[in-house]
Amino acid sequence: MSLPLKLQEIVDDFASMAREEKIETLIAYSESLPPLPERLKEERARMDPVPECMTPVFLYGEKQPDGGIVFYFDIPPQSPTVRGLASILASGLNGSKPEEILSVPADFFMPMNLQEAISQQRINGFTGVLAHMKQTAVRLLERGS
Amino acid sequence: MSYVHPEYLVETEWVAARLNDPNVRIIESDEDPLLYPIGHIPGAVQVDWFTTLQHPVRRDFLTKEQFEQVASKLGINNDTTVVFYGDKSNWFACYALWLFQYFGHQNVRIMNGGRAKWEKENRSLVKEVPSYHKTTYRAQEPDQSIRAFRGDVLKQSNAKKPLVDVRSPKEYSGELISMPNYPQEGATRGGHIPGAVSVPWSQAVNEADSTFKTPEELRALYEGKGVKPDEEVIAYCRIGERSSLTWFVLKYLLGYPNVKNYDGSWTEWGNLVDAPIEK
Repeated sequence: MSLPLKLQEIVDDFASMAREEKIETLIAYSESLPPLPERLKEERARMDPVPECMTPVFLYGEKQPDGGIVFYFDIPPQSPTVRGLASILASGLNGSKPEEILSVPADFFMPMNLQEAISQQRINGFTGVLAHMKQTAVRLLERGS
Repeated sequence: MSYVHPEYLVETEWVAARLNDPNVRIIESDEDPLLYPIGHIPGAVQVDWFTTLQHPVRRDFLTKEQFEQVASKLGINNDTTVVFYGDKSNWFACYALWLFQYFGHQNVRIMNGGRAKWEKENRSLVKEVPSYHKTTYRAQEPDQSIRAFRGDVLKQSNAKKPLVDVRSPKEYSGELISMPNYPQEGATRGGHIPGAVSVPWSQAVNEADSTFKTPEELRALYEGKGVKPDEEVIAYCRIGERSSLTWFVLKYLLGYPNVKNYDGSWTEWGNLVDAPIEK
């Protein structure tokens, strides 16, 4: 099972990093997550509230003319870890076709060894965001082009 | 009316005036582990509720000896004043404080308003991670009087003594069972422990700046729900962090003599075979 090239590169990069470098890189990803475009703010306001323990992750996917999907996120700055994980997924998967997104294994991040940097519990954020992206991919696939 | 034990709560100014005090150690304890490396109070060290404070193998906290090593590495002496602060209205700061008390560290404080208030006041945050000389720290045997296990909780429920469920109303009602996609923090059943009253943790905190509400407001809140100081009280949530905040409020701000935190909380109770549940 192969990952989209860009995501595979990110996974390989992290796999070779020491703990401190992983933390710095995650922070850099978190800081580079682009702000939500103005035109999606209305969609954002319609988002369902999340349980208080969880980080409110707003995600919006748009199909491009070539069939690839571009994802936009809105995640509060108080949650840099989830922002960082979402930013990695956005960098690794933006432009991918719905089928490619759906074939990303739920445990694709295992070789990154992130648990030494942010603990196993926090990596769950990956599973959550990826599942969310897959739901969007399914919706866009059903809707056709 | 003031808090019953006001010495356990300090303000941001108090902390700002003691950044170089060798008898004070400031500890950041967050839900999000990247906040500390992004910027923390100068001189503060970090503990993580999971990677620093939990036992590496069992579902439990560190052993006494492991805790001694952690405290020693953080440069804490037995008489050091340890001040905790963190994100999310100090949930995990209260959790860490509770664990320090569990191992007998008496001299502990919460910084009112936590990280959010410090940031809002534009106080300095630095990336530099300090290192302190190792100490020889001696912990006490765990203080079981502040920790409830499932057996204690069942007895409490059967005896119709006060149990405080501090989760959000939908978690209490059972409408919301677990966190989707958080496989390790879920429960197979929803609802609450029979007899528990719902007093969401957030009602003890001012939304605007995460500081604690006034003594009058807090007293009215808990006594209004029948949670009174003359009986033993057990607080719980989902993983024990939000209930640490309620534990701190009842124990120190309101001075209830006998309060326990059930750290197993709903991730244990909602998965426990044969445990009674109310919806």
